[in-house]
Amino acid sequence: MHFLYFDPAIGALIIQAIVATVAAVLLFTKNLMFKVKSFLGIAKQDKQDIFDDINIDDSEIENKPSSDS
Amino acid sequence: MHSSSFRDPSGYVFIEEGKVKRIINPIYFKQYFALKNSGFFDKLFKNKLLITHKELSITDKEIVIQPEQISFITYPYEWSFNQYKEAALLTLKLQKYSLEHGFSLKDASSFNITFYKGQAIFIDTLSFDFYVDNSPWRAYKQFVNHFFGPLLLAHYHGAQSLKMMSNFIDGIPTKMIASMLPFKTKLSPFLYSNVHLLSRFVDKYNEDKKEDTRRTTLSKKGQLNIIKTLYNYIKKLSLKEQSEWGNYYNKTNYTDKTFKLKSNITNSWINKLKIKTLIDLGGNDGTFVRLINSDLNHALVCDIDNNAVDYNYRTTKENKEHYMTPFVLDILNPSPSIGFNNTERFSFLKRIQQFTPDATLALALIHHISLSGNVTFEMSAKFFASFSKHLIIEFPQRGDSWVEHLLNSKAEFKEHFNFYNQESFENAYTLFFDIIEKQIINDSKRVMYLLKVKDVK
Repeated sequence: MHFLYFDPAIGALIIQAIVATVAAVLLFTKNLMFKVKSFLGIAKQDKQDIFDDINIDDSEIENKPSSDS
Repeated sequence: MHSSSFRDPSGYVFIEEGKVKRIINPIYFKQYFALKNSGFFDKLFKNKLLITHKELSITDKEIVIQPEQISFITYPYEWSFNQYKEAALLTLKLQKYSLEHGFSLKDASSFNITFYKGQAIFIDTLSFDFYVDNSPWRAYKQFVNHFFGPLLLAHYHGAQSLKMMSNFIDGIPTKMIASMLPFKTKLSPFLYSNVHLLSRFVDKYNEDKKEDTRRTTLSKKGQLNIIKTLYNYIKKLSLKEQSEWGNYYNKTNYTDKTFKLKSNITNSWINKLKIKTLIDLGGNDGTFVRLINSDLNHALVCDIDNNAVDYNYRTTKENKEHYMTPFVLDILNPSPSIGFNNTERFSFLKRIQQFTPDATLALALIHHISLSGNVTFEMSAKFFASFSKHLIIEFPQRGDSWVEHLLNSKAEFKEHFNFYNQESFENAYTLFFDIIEKQIINDSKRVMYLLKVKDVK
């Protein structure tokens, strides 16, 4: 269910299929380039950044594998 | 009900006994319990991405929660470039995490985020809704209007353009963003699809109310791809002007003796008065506040220069200085009240009066306000006296190189500024303040004052 308290604009919903296709191509080439560069040994390490990557740490502390095995 | 909380029918914010609380309406119960019982809220709390809350009461009619109280809210038009970036990235991060756990952000307003304890935090607890399979992101356009567009404009036109947000509470219009971007952005498939084509589509379907909504489907994978590419792009976005300011610290002469003396005087006063909260108006990159050697609970550090604030923000992150909140502020034109009834977002003055810092620092500022802004001493004194009990102010006398420079730039109107002297300064300021202490900074034309607001009967 959606609360339509603001207009999402129908055009902005339709276009997401196109935007997603462009995004898929970009992500694919990015990965490919990274693999090629890694293979050639010229992949750059990400320099120290003040922002994390997109993933939220989803691990529970209890579930972390112990290091003493 | 809080005057900014009428848009979303899921619930509303209200203030009771000085505390911000939130009512959740039955229409949102299902979502709320799902978010709570699945551990979704807890995970976001733990990662400091969403403001924590405790449940006060649950009945059939309403649930009342009380979020952790934030003493000073800053708005998007007061953020530096990297603060803005962080807020945008946080929104995308939350949307990705939501999608992976069966939820979706129903809105992507930049006002859902503020800065707290040194980082961006999401403050609209009721923004999460259930994800409907294969539906596109309803807040996609809003994300572009509130975050992506403003950041692109800042990239191409400078960080000052972020201030435009104070005129557009619903975000910068899509068409306007597209029209303001240089032609070369049309050659980038990423920018073309996310901005130019979006603008055309929004326009095209604007009139066509009968458009078949069945066409609006998008796989979850597709939506995640949009989110990820936006994240990657925004993370790398920088200001063109930034390199100029890279060595900001080195450019400002902070090593001189005067500066140290000034800092010693301020420190002794702050310690004596046991100041815990303060605002430094004209705080530049925060260097001065960093030299304060007592434990402050909260220091607001503002400056007119977005780049100085940005430099300060990055420094607070590196040093983990959670007590400092840097933001952009032009004292000669502070943030206004905006929105319906002028009460959706509060003016700077209203927020600072509510915050009532123990002390205000106005260092190397009065000559700019008086000589560049033509604000009389009485006007500035009245302004400073309206929000905090103590004022630590530096008065550069005539003969100071900056003052002379400003006066000389007035050319034939120089005499109009004859009022700029220590005597008339004291006369005007003692209308509102008592002088507790006064100290001349050795070998300089500058005087430091510790003032206390007069008790008004």
